[in-house]
Amino acid sequence: MNSLERLLAAARFEATDRTPFMPQLFGLAARAAGVAIDAYVRGGSLMAECQLRQQERLGNDAVFAFSDLGVETEALGSRLKYYEHQYPEVVDYALAPGDDPARLSLPDPARDGRMPGVLDAIGALRRALGDSVMVAGGVAGPMTLAAQLYGAEKALFLTMDDRPRFEAALDLAVAVAGRYGAAQLAAGAHMVMVLDPMASPAVMPPELFRELLAPRLHRLMADLRAAGSLTTWLNIAGPTAPILPHYAEIGAAIATFDYYVEPATARSLLPHTCLLGNLTSLDFLAPSPQNLTAQARRLIAAFADRGGYILSSGCEIPAEAGEANVAALAQLAAGG
Amino acid sequence: MSATDFETMVGALLAGDHVAALAEARRLKAAGVSAERIVTDGLEVAMGRLDEKCTVEQFNLLEIMLVGRAVSVVVQDLYPEGMPPAGGRASFVIATLEGDVHDLGKNIVKMVLIGKGYRVVDLGRDCPVEVLAEAAERERATAVLVSGLISPIVPQVRRVRAALQARGLGGMPVVAGGAALKQLTAADLNVDYVAETAFDGASYLEALATEDKG
Repeated sequence: MNSLERLLAAARFEATDRTPFMPQLFGLAARAAGVAIDAYVRGGSLMAECQLRQQERLGNDAVFAFSDLGVETEALGSRLKYYEHQYPEVVDYALAPGDDPARLSLPDPARDGRMPGVLDAIGALRRALGDSVMVAGGVAGPMTLAAQLYGAEKALFLTMDDRPRFEAALDLAVAVAGRYGAAQLAAGAHMVMVLDPMASPAVMPPELFRELLAPRLHRLMADLRAAGSLTTWLNIAGPTAPILPHYAEIGAAIATFDYYVEPATARSLLPHTCLLGNLTSLDFLAPSPQNLTAQARRLIAAFADRGGYILSSGCEIPAEAGEANVAALAQLAAGG
Repeated sequence: MSATDFETMVGALLAGDHVAALAEARRLKAAGVSAERIVTDGLEVAMGRLDEKCTVEQFNLLEIMLVGRAVSVVVQDLYPEGMPPAGGRASFVIATLEGDVHDLGKNIVKMVLIGKGYRVVDLGRDCPVEVLAEAAERERATAVLVSGLISPIVPQVRRVRAALQARGLGGMPVVAGGAALKQLTAADLNVDYVAETAFDGASYLEALATEDKG
């Protein structure tokens, strides 16, 4: 069983030869290779090389051609500031508070912003790995992209002040994610994950998630599957227990659960969905992996009787984390 | 005028309806109610109820932002020159430290504290540690508050205590919060308290402010 087969089997609740291991390694691949984040996030062969070398060292079951959550908004006209050691941030949003989202046109992934660089990275990763290791792309989910287009505060106030305009922004975001995701799949990605941190119940009340986001996420997952995604992954961090029950109807085959949610709770809320998590991200900054390996042992044991589990963190592993901590978990997942 | 006369305003505040809350505050003022009473019997009551409702499991930024905006609009109307540090109320200095431009969490904490009648000096985002310490000294702050969404900010947070000590403020409490920082302990961050939510932080600060007065 190779890495791709292992992850797909877990997503389908089939038996696996060992615990699948898909740590959320984005910027850490750059840092470990001594590459500046501002160069890494432009994608291309540099991003692919960092991911490939890291996968060789750690044996993780997936590589990611994902840089940050600013790619789509930049392609739509937002201006970003780049940093040497952290992800870029929007300094000038594409939409002013009074703007109608219809004034923006869908970006062309082959041409706009950093999207072509990400597609190049995907192509390079797929050529190098074939179907042995999962090549994962990623798109910003609708709530997150709406927040990246208006600014988080303004987007959140729109939910109260101008619901039709807010919903138009969400619809635009779904269309962008669908098109960008399809381009990633055409470039060679096996799967496109949907990251929507702003959809977390820490930010949005669960009722609004159910009413406004769940139907749109359902549409996006269906679009990604139709475009060739071998599986689907909804990646939302934070205290997600109130929204997890909706993931099945949304069509997410893989669901992230973060450290806020106990494994038993996640299991009971999503009995037929593959769960991924829930190691605490900032524990990867600790000088020794002791705490992490103890957490990982408990997690593996908690899912031993049902399968449908992928060992990972509940959120991104920080770029400044020690790679030795990830290596210890890789060894554990491999049965070492 | 009894507490029930403030219910309309409290209801509007909790619904996040800043237009209705402002209209009601103006009506009360025109009826002769003092600004101080509108704060204590209106704004603080609303924030207290929101506090009771917002457990760790039920805390969401949107709801708090809407209430916070309504509170801010009323405060701004009552005190166009800024809220006075009346009645010996404590002052807090708050910032998102240099390297972190995410200030949503900081703004929420600020709104909650203003709603509870405290004076808050907001140093914005991307704020150098030295500027924070200088402001803490200048404002005679009861505590300094730092918010952090991203992990690269952790080393900056660990420097706050030393920067305060260098100004003879070694005993000034430091409170941290935000998605990244709350995954670490107070000892990890070299601070006095790590708040799980804005209201959790506000409760800790209220206790400090009470000690300070006593």
